[in-house]
Amino acid sequence: MSPIRWHPALLSILVTGAAALLILILGLALAVPLARRRFPGRTAVETLIALPLVLPPSVVGYYLLRLLGRGGPLADWLGLRLLFTPAAAVAAATVVGLPLMVQAAQAALSGVDPALENAARTLGSSEAELFFRITLPLARRGILAGWVLGAARALGEFGATLMVAGNIPGRTQTLPLAIYDAVQNRRYDQATRLVLIVTAIAFLALYLIRRLELPVRPGPRREQ
Amino acid sequence: MNGALLAIDIEKRLDPIRLEVRLEAGQEILVLFGPSGAGKTSTLNAVAGLLAPEAGEIRLGSELLFRRRRPGEPVNVPARRRGIGYVFQSYALFPHLSAWENVGYALARKRGGRGRIAELLEQMGLTHLAGRYPHELSGGQQQRVAIARALAGEPRLLLLDEPFAALDAAVRDQLQGDLRRLQAERGLTVLYVTHRLEDAFAVGHRLAVIREGRVEQAGSLEEVFRQPSSRQVASILGLRNLFQARVVRAGAEALLLDWDGLLLEALPQPAAGPTVTAYIRPEDVKVLYPDRPLMDAVRHNQVEARILERRLQANLQTLLVGLPNGRTLEVGFPLRLYASLRLAPGDSVRLAVRKEGVVVLRPPALGRETRP
Repeated sequence: MSPIRWHPALLSILVTGAAALLILILGLALAVPLARRRFPGRTAVETLIALPLVLPPSVVGYYLLRLLGRGGPLADWLGLRLLFTPAAAVAAATVVGLPLMVQAAQAALSGVDPALENAARTLGSSEAELFFRITLPLARRGILAGWVLGAARALGEFGATLMVAGNIPGRTQTLPLAIYDAVQNRRYDQATRLVLIVTAIAFLALYLIRRLELPVRPGPRREQ
Repeated sequence: MNGALLAIDIEKRLDPIRLEVRLEAGQEILVLFGPSGAGKTSTLNAVAGLLAPEAGEIRLGSELLFRRRRPGEPVNVPARRRGIGYVFQSYALFPHLSAWENVGYALARKRGGRGRIAELLEQMGLTHLAGRYPHELSGGQQQRVAIARALAGEPRLLLLDEPFAALDAAVRDQLQGDLRRLQAERGLTVLYVTHRLEDAFAVGHRLAVIREGRVEQAGSLEEVFRQPSSRQVASILGLRNLFQARVVRAGAEALLLDWDGLLLEALPQPAAGPTVTAYIRPEDVKVLYPDRPLMDAVRHNQVEARILERRLQANLQTLLVGLPNGRTLEVGFPLRLYASLRLAPGDSVRLAVRKEGVVVLRPPALGRETRP
């Protein structure tokens, strides 16, 4: 039995963590205006954000390649050399996880009764204050569920990652890529272990979502 | 004391109606009464700053809250700075906050906030429920929390939208009493929206009848009821027995009307023009006992009628009768009255219409609105 190679698991956790953070911030930044404002082209924006859900990973990967690679805006204007680095893996994971977060968060934010927000306005709240004191707490479950789902999708990202980050063992080889590599090289023991790790994480994530999506109950009673 | 504290003059297109409301209110409970869809809630929302009119002005005391397309700088004070208490139709309590936290929402970072919350909860009889969440409270308790929350910021103006619609009668009576007490103690100006006349009578000092976005009539309850300005107002108020009549004689001692051949004598009152719209209050029509001498009050306006229908309600009996002029008349009296008479459909019955019960509607030209 060969020793476990931990690097892919650690890298996956780092990449997924960074992607999850980006998904949370970008997801809320996109979901809030989509949920609260009507503007021309809103449906087009929604569709564009959802596109990575249905496009083949190679197409998403190709777009990212052009965006991050030589001749792309990030490389030319900002001088960033991201291709075939872990950062490229983070970008790929973020792009595929984001639509799940945006859709869930948008639905949760739209589900908050506008009368509650109006009540908060008459009680002296600014728009930012009522967002953090009323809207966000009430949409919390849906937002968390979307976030976990997006992060889980980021963890499982394979195709686009392969195209922009490559499959460099010890550098950009995440768990899904390591599994593919192990099978290619007929290291089935290694593949089995990695598959079980990924399955366990995915199970936990989905289990968490189910718990979050239980009917809304208020938090524990607090004594005044 | 009773000067106009709140002055509203707003215009706004609201499919399918056009809102054009002009109103003033002093330290009083002004009831906005009218059918649903008449623009009552939109008026409250405009005052609260949740809905921007297309044109108009809203003043509260010396402060200009809103102005657009009127002489002077445009003004639109945001809702959060208007200092107006608003009790929403379905209460709009924050479901993730306890009663205490709901009431304290506006006082979050204020000094003395805790004492103020405790005081408000105590005034509304909610102290023992402070830790409960809205879904753990009854409708009446939720309503108390909503009122306490709206009063937390010490508003001068309190807006209530159908506040007691979903509550049972006993709770409603008590809350209505509480509201009148609060209004008097704090000298509040209260706008109270309802489509239930009983509510208007239970709490209101003055009544504004709103129909299709306009104030049809405003005045004291008594005045609006005695003298509705139009047929529409009368019908919104649920007045029965409306009819058109020709004025036969308008004298200092009586007004004589001809209702399609039936002569009716009424108390002297202004009658604009040769024909007027009038109504007969069902409770002012008396059934005459065939074998008893007539009392003075019912000597006038006697008429032979045929009973078409008899309806029994909780404590009221209604007869629909056919008159000799071919019209129908609604007659109402307490259930126990005339127990010795048969009063079955098909029977003939002798009626007397009291002079006080014949009311001529005051046409708009004679003054649409009474200022407080």
